[in-house]
Amino acid sequence: MSRNFAFWPIILVLALITAPLAIMYLFLAIDTVTTSAPGSFWPTRFTLEHWRFLWDAKLTGDVWGPTATTFIFASTMVVIVLTVSSTAGYAISRLNLPFRRLFLSGILVMHAFPAVTLLIGVFLVLQFAGLYNTLIGVILVKTGFSIPFGVWIMKGFYDQVPWEIEMAGVQDGASRFTVWWRLILPQVKPGLLSLGIFVFIDGWSEFMLPRILAPSSNFDVLSTYLNRVSDPDTAQYNFNLVKSVGLFYTLPILALYAVFQNRLMNIFSGGTKG
Amino acid sequence: MHSGVLMTRFKTTKLLALGAILLSGTTMAQATDYTISVWAGGSGPADAYRWQAIEMAADILEREAEVRGEELNITIEEQHTFDGWDNFKQAVTLAAEAGNAPHIIVTGHEDIGPWSQSGILRPVEDYVDFDAWPLNQLYPNLVEVASYDGVVWGLPQDSESRPFYFSRSHLAAIGYSEADIDALPAKVLSGEYTLYSMLDDVKKMQDAGLVEANKGFLPRTSNGPDYWQFYQSFGGNLVDEATGKLLLDKAALTGMYQFFVDAVAMGLTSSTHLGSPGDSFTDAVISDKAGAWHAGTWSKPQWEAKGLENFHEKVQATLIPAGNAEGRANTITHPLVYLLSTTGTDEEAAIAAELITIASEPRINTLHAIKSAHLAIGSEQVNVPLYANDRWAAEATENFLPYANAIPNNPEFGVYWTAMFKGLEASWTGVSSVEDAVKAVEAEVTSAIGDAIVVR
Amino acid sequence: MRARTSMLGMAFVTPALLLLIAFFFMPVALTTVFAFTNMSTATGITGGSYVVTGNLLRTLGERGVEPAVLEVLEQRVFAVDPKTLAAAASAGVEPQFLAEIEQQLLGQSFDTSRAFEAALKKLPSRPTRTRDLKLAAEPFSRAILNTRYNSREEIGAAITSLAPAASAETVGQITEASYTGWRWVEWRNFSTLLEKPETLRILGNTVFYVTATLAFNVGVGLFLAICIFYLPQKTGGVFSVLWLLPRITPVVLYAVMWKWMTWENGFIYNIAQSLGLPAFNYMKGSVPTAWTIIILLNGFIGASFGMIIFSGALRAIPAQQLWASEVDGATRWQQIRRIILPQLRWPILFVTSYQTLSLLSSYEQIWLTTNGGPGSTTTVWALEAFKAGLSNYTGNLEYAVGAAMALVLVIVGIVLSVLYLRVFRFDELVSKPKIEF
Repeated sequence: MSRNFAFWPIILVLALITAPLAIMYLFLAIDTVTTSAPGSFWPTRFTLEHWRFLWDAKLTGDVWGPTATTFIFASTMVVIVLTVSSTAGYAISRLNLPFRRLFLSGILVMHAFPAVTLLIGVFLVLQFAGLYNTLIGVILVKTGFSIPFGVWIMKGFYDQVPWEIEMAGVQDGASRFTVWWRLILPQVKPGLLSLGIFVFIDGWSEFMLPRILAPSSNFDVLSTYLNRVSDPDTAQYNFNLVKSVGLFYTLPILALYAVFQNRLMNIFSGGTKG
Repeated sequence: MHSGVLMTRFKTTKLLALGAILLSGTTMAQATDYTISVWAGGSGPADAYRWQAIEMAADILEREAEVRGEELNITIEEQHTFDGWDNFKQAVTLAAEAGNAPHIIVTGHEDIGPWSQSGILRPVEDYVDFDAWPLNQLYPNLVEVASYDGVVWGLPQDSESRPFYFSRSHLAAIGYSEADIDALPAKVLSGEYTLYSMLDDVKKMQDAGLVEANKGFLPRTSNGPDYWQFYQSFGGNLVDEATGKLLLDKAALTGMYQFFVDAVAMGLTSSTHLGSPGDSFTDAVISDKAGAWHAGTWSKPQWEAKGLENFHEKVQATLIPAGNAEGRANTITHPLVYLLSTTGTDEEAAIAAELITIASEPRINTLHAIKSAHLAIGSEQVNVPLYANDRWAAEATENFLPYANAIPNNPEFGVYWTAMFKGLEASWTGVSSVEDAVKAVEAEVTSAIGDAIVVR
Repeated sequence: MRARTSMLGMAFVTPALLLLIAFFFMPVALTTVFAFTNMSTATGITGGSYVVTGNLLRTLGERGVEPAVLEVLEQRVFAVDPKTLAAAASAGVEPQFLAEIEQQLLGQSFDTSRAFEAALKKLPSRPTRTRDLKLAAEPFSRAILNTRYNSREEIGAAITSLAPAASAETVGQITEASYTGWRWVEWRNFSTLLEKPETLRILGNTVFYVTATLAFNVGVGLFLAICIFYLPQKTGGVFSVLWLLPRITPVVLYAVMWKWMTWENGFIYNIAQSLGLPAFNYMKGSVPTAWTIIILLNGFIGASFGMIIFSGALRAIPAQQLWASEVDGATRWQQIRRIILPQLRWPILFVTSYQTLSLLSSYEQIWLTTNGGPGSTTTVWALEAFKAGLSNYTGNLEYAVGAAMALVLVIVGIVLSVLYLRVFRFDELVSKPKIEF
């Protein structure tokens, strides 16, 4: 539409303010496979030496263990968040509950809540449960923090399912549970997929919680691994190496983003309509 | 009635354990397995003997048991990949609250104050014999540093000093002769050469174009016991001798803050120096781009690892100069200590105690002392050739250690320390005046720990 | 008429409720409690014990407790007498060793454990291990100095048995003072916050940080959304994809990328150097550049949020309206001002309020980049709360101070949220379910 405007000035301005981003991400990719002279950024030579950390554990420590842990962390989180949000979301969207209003407004408040500032309290809860310094403890906390968002998003998706589907099921004599499981859940599959991807990315990126709630455990996730590698005081410190580890860490996210871009856009806006 | 005296938590465990020990003492034929955990804070690759010494000790203890005809298997679980002291202390504190602190903690001695109060620690004196080898040759002042309120809580793991350094080449370029440079430590010690003389010299270096602006004087980039040295340079004491309480000497604190503000105003150090990355500091030192700086003795091998050669020909080390007539040249030793936590059984603690005792053997500790450029913990170490033949260790032991003191072990000291550093940051970066910064420190410590500190 | 509660509904919300209780309500409740205590590393979180120490006795002396009582409590005597021998026997000290002790040392007393142990070491049947020897020595001590008791009653009884002359009041005073755990301090943490000049500075930093970042987020988000709206879909898509990248990039890597950009020998440093401009570590080397970087770094993450919300709202504008304005000869600027911006009033208000809340409580990015420096010039409220309570160099974690600061954030958060819920017509969102059985 609006063909009477010239695009070039707009594109130029956009390109200008986007330049820092483009440069950072471009060099993130380039620097991992090239070397350049000190004091310059122009790559002079193609090399794979910065990726040696993948097979040489002597360089920065084994990377595959943390990768597996990060995967377990993120996917467990996805399973719990999806299960809990798809049930609770349905309940507040369609079922009659006492204090429903309070619950919903509570969820909305918690949605943008400074959860990380409550870490001392969270620590105590974990300690009472005997889950401090364990992977499952960190997963539970991260899941708990993601629940308000998940429930809110799923409620939004359920709200869009036409009533007629449910009405038809109930009139056929099916129980409310069967109706949900057989008829409604398939309707919100796209929502579950979007939420799942979002939660996976969120879990994959998490840094604070493993760092604080499991500092001395014998597992490492990629975020804490990268943080250690990027400490300039370490002996093997080198920006190209740090970037290679970083790119390795982010590749799964970038892949997910490339494939499911539109779904993510949906989530970023969907759950936050005021 | 003695039986009416109810037992403590420790005593209860002690006595339960006693039965077990005395029983097993006669029937120790079967194998006994122990897993002992060790966490070391603030340690880089050069400090590996902090936990490797424990591994060596475990090997010796196993062999001793074998010689006695017993079978003892000790597995050491070590962890040292904590990034920075704040993360390490957070990890230990929270783990201890959760009941799974490591058996052996290697940390700065100042943690003894708060940790002994909170019940995280077992007193080392209940587990080891200070009248027997090798503990009977530990320097008494270091054992004192590992004690708090009349109880020995830990064994010193290393000692050190935190001297001041000058670039010999830059001093020569502004007119110092070789002999003048060699005489500098004595002039610093006598108080003739002060921090302000240092600023004047560094200014000359910058004016002569030898050193870049803001690089003349490079203080430590982060918080550390080092900064208390400057408080002492201006006549401050950390403890009030009469009452044994902490002491805030406002005049000394003002002098110290003002000194750094003056250094910034003269363009000799940057107003944003605090918090700048450590690698540019190191780079300036190894490529002779700085005029004067201060750092712990252990920094020397780190500089050498990154390319500094012929240290003794390039650098002159002295005490931290006095700041004014009230102050004195000084240095602070900040020994790390081996502490025993309340984690695990009494039997495990007894094994852990034997391990740290063996790790204090002069030969074993010397490995750490020389590899990481720390100083001896015991008088016999000067007889170990590795130690005796190391020029840096000898020099530091002779020139600095006699004038070194330690920061106090007091549960409230952390509050005071944090307030001091915040005030330093505020005045250094110019967000508040020196006067206001001192007032803020006074307000903070009196409101937080009023009973425990004397303000003068 | 009120519909029946759905049992399925209850079952369906229970897991969510449990997680929320565990990780939101309980932490909030605990934070509230902690804020009114003096909890720190030294006091521990889970309660303390009762112990008489040398320092405590000195303090009690200053407070005027009878010196005679304190003197008794201060001694640390090891006595070999029938009572202590019986205690040692019941504690399980080896009989032969015990017999030797009785034979050689009966009636003697020792001022220090060291002296007593030295005497024990001369006996032939002594335990060979140091710890065993000390355990055997233990029952001969009647001192309570530095001994930890689990309860008030236990230490009270111990004091009384050692110093029978002490009045109940004195024993109570000593017992009370000997507690090592945390105590209630009423509003002291908050009044300290009010008194500290630093609080005002941190507050100023926080307001500046939130306002500036918000201005960037909304301004750039708006600009992006409008530009993308006018561009062909493909071209616009490229930009929106790029601007979403910071949002999905893990924060640790994102921080590393900014360091590469702004540190010494980094990208901007090299360019500035070749152009002859001042080159230094921009992230840590000066206050204005540190702030600029913090705001940009957070702004690049936040702008995409506004961009998405505004793009959605723009797509809802009927195309005819725009065509009509073009036919009327409206310029692009007029079109934006007259048609687009009025349409975006609510989305702008929404983005502003939503991001105010999340910026107030965010500190992860600052922590990983400037860490509040240089000095503490870029320290915001949430970061200071985190540092005071959980992460500081001296290792003295002041849980209570951190909790008090967090509580302030919690209250601000709740007040703002409730306000927003009113403004954004919450009622429409919570309309009752239409079918109920």
